[in-house]
Amino acid sequence: MKRESKGTKIISWICLGWALLVALVPLVWLVMSSFKEDPLARPGFQLPESIYLKGYISTFKDLHVMRYFGNSLLVSFASVFISIVMISMSAYVVARLKFKGKSLVNMMLYSTMFIPATALTYPVYNLVKGLHLYNTRGALIFVYACSGLAVSFFVIKNYYLNIPPEMEDAARIDGCGYVSTWLRVIFPMARPGILTAGVLAFLNNWNEYYWASLVLIDKEKMTVPALLSTFTTTFRTNYNGLFSAMVVIILPPIILYIIFSKFLVQALSGGAVKG
Amino acid sequence: MKKKKNRLGIKRQLFILAFLAPTIIAFCMFYLYPIITVLATSFCKWDYTNIQAPQFFGFANLFENYKYIFDTYPYFWEALGNSLSWALLGVVLQIPVATLIALAFSRKGRSVKIIRNIFIIPNMISSAALGMIFLQLYNPSYGIVNPVIRIFKEGFTDNILLLKGPAFWAMTFSYIFFTGTTTLMILGNIMAVPEEIKEAAKLDGASGWKADLYITIPMIKDTLRTVSILSATSGFLLYNEVFFLTKGAAGTYSISYVIRELAITSPRAQFGRANSVASIQILVGMAIIFAINLGYGAVGRRRLKKGGSL
Repeated sequence: MKRESKGTKIISWICLGWALLVALVPLVWLVMSSFKEDPLARPGFQLPESIYLKGYISTFKDLHVMRYFGNSLLVSFASVFISIVMISMSAYVVARLKFKGKSLVNMMLYSTMFIPATALTYPVYNLVKGLHLYNTRGALIFVYACSGLAVSFFVIKNYYLNIPPEMEDAARIDGCGYVSTWLRVIFPMARPGILTAGVLAFLNNWNEYYWASLVLIDKEKMTVPALLSTFTTTFRTNYNGLFSAMVVIILPPIILYIIFSKFLVQALSGGAVKG
Repeated sequence: MKKKKNRLGIKRQLFILAFLAPTIIAFCMFYLYPIITVLATSFCKWDYTNIQAPQFFGFANLFENYKYIFDTYPYFWEALGNSLSWALLGVVLQIPVATLIALAFSRKGRSVKIIRNIFIIPNMISSAALGMIFLQLYNPSYGIVNPVIRIFKEGFTDNILLLKGPAFWAMTFSYIFFTGTTTLMILGNIMAVPEEIKEAAKLDGASGWKADLYITIPMIKDTLRTVSILSATSGFLLYNEVFFLTKGAAGTYSISYVIRELAITSPRAQFGRANSVASIQILVGMAIIFAINLGYGAVGRRRLKKGGSL
């Protein structure tokens, strides 16, 4: 087998180097700055004179970081659970059964790809108020569960389409009804596709800022991204505190990612993302 | 016999209905009802003075809100220009770079895998957090961007986020290269290209980047179209970066930012006018998706023709 040419290798390494640079420079600089007693005195990429940890100590003492992570986790998990159950039910019906209005359902869900959620800002804001959900975590769960229907729907539907129909026939012969065929046979078989959709939705909701900053007011209910917008006023000129708090905020997802990276990479690259 | 079939039919109908109902209800609440409201009230006088009762302008003055937005509101054209630029940059800059990186990741090797895993880390932290980090990076007194500029331009002490022109690019660079999930989707499809095709290409003398250009990229065209649409739409809808980095200063308004400012943030909220901007956002967003589909379709047909004549 012919080995790859020199040119190919060089281009590859330029791309890889660029990827590394893009991912690491902001994070390394942030961590470095968080150890500086006065980032103003040693700006840019100058190393800290000594390692100064006061910012971290006060972050853990005063910020109650775990509370915000709890909020983020609760909201993300609950909304992903609701939307994935909902979508895997409707996607199954659309993928497998013939019925009147099927193309309408398909079109309906497809059309949500064309509708920017921010355009719906005011009506949704009003709706949340009307449902008496304003300033509750339930509001965010509602918004997240309903947004992003299209992507989950198409990922899961494509996966159902790959399951051979004989599986259902066999289940029917064994006396399974529609519901139990889906629950016992099809749902478990479609798990990889459902997982991909779930992980995508989870990451979206976990990082979502727009709605989180719109429907929540009380600080103790906020998710992590919403909390971030309060930092500039909380810390003002205490740059060491600001940097330390930011490191603490971004660390847990990075740790989780390192633990689950294999699973995540597989889930994200394995799903059928063809239009 | 017929009766039994009928009963089965009813069961079937019930099953279909029950399984579709939650999704349809969610659709109606979150999409259908808001969209109708947005479109309808974009033709109404509706602001902080009549919160409870939107007032239809009447057919003679149907486009009153739109006229205001186009002629009087100072930020609309700037916002539309910026949002369109970000959508375009998504297709012509973000996706090509993401694809190049995905191609580099598709080569084998342990270090490649490690770099791949590191590259995804910024996507695990929110764009809000990245916005905050870049706000610090761009800070003129302790960031790292100004020292770099000073190498070329001595004594540079301005905040680039407050300079018209550079501010737009500073904002663009704060998000456009963090393409972890997109790159992974593309990578997944590159890996799914059958080995035989790559082998056949090698026999024909195409290897390395040449093979990628002529073999791999056409094979993953569908995925590229999907991710192009996703990245163009998210560029068009940009909000977080505007909020965290400039709050619209130095010519960096985006359409989403305008909508939110008009409808929610401003003490003299103007819901009707916000909704007319939203209607424009919906229409232009559709046009963008349509254009990308058309573009990819055209490229596909041309390739087919070329292949046919050979």
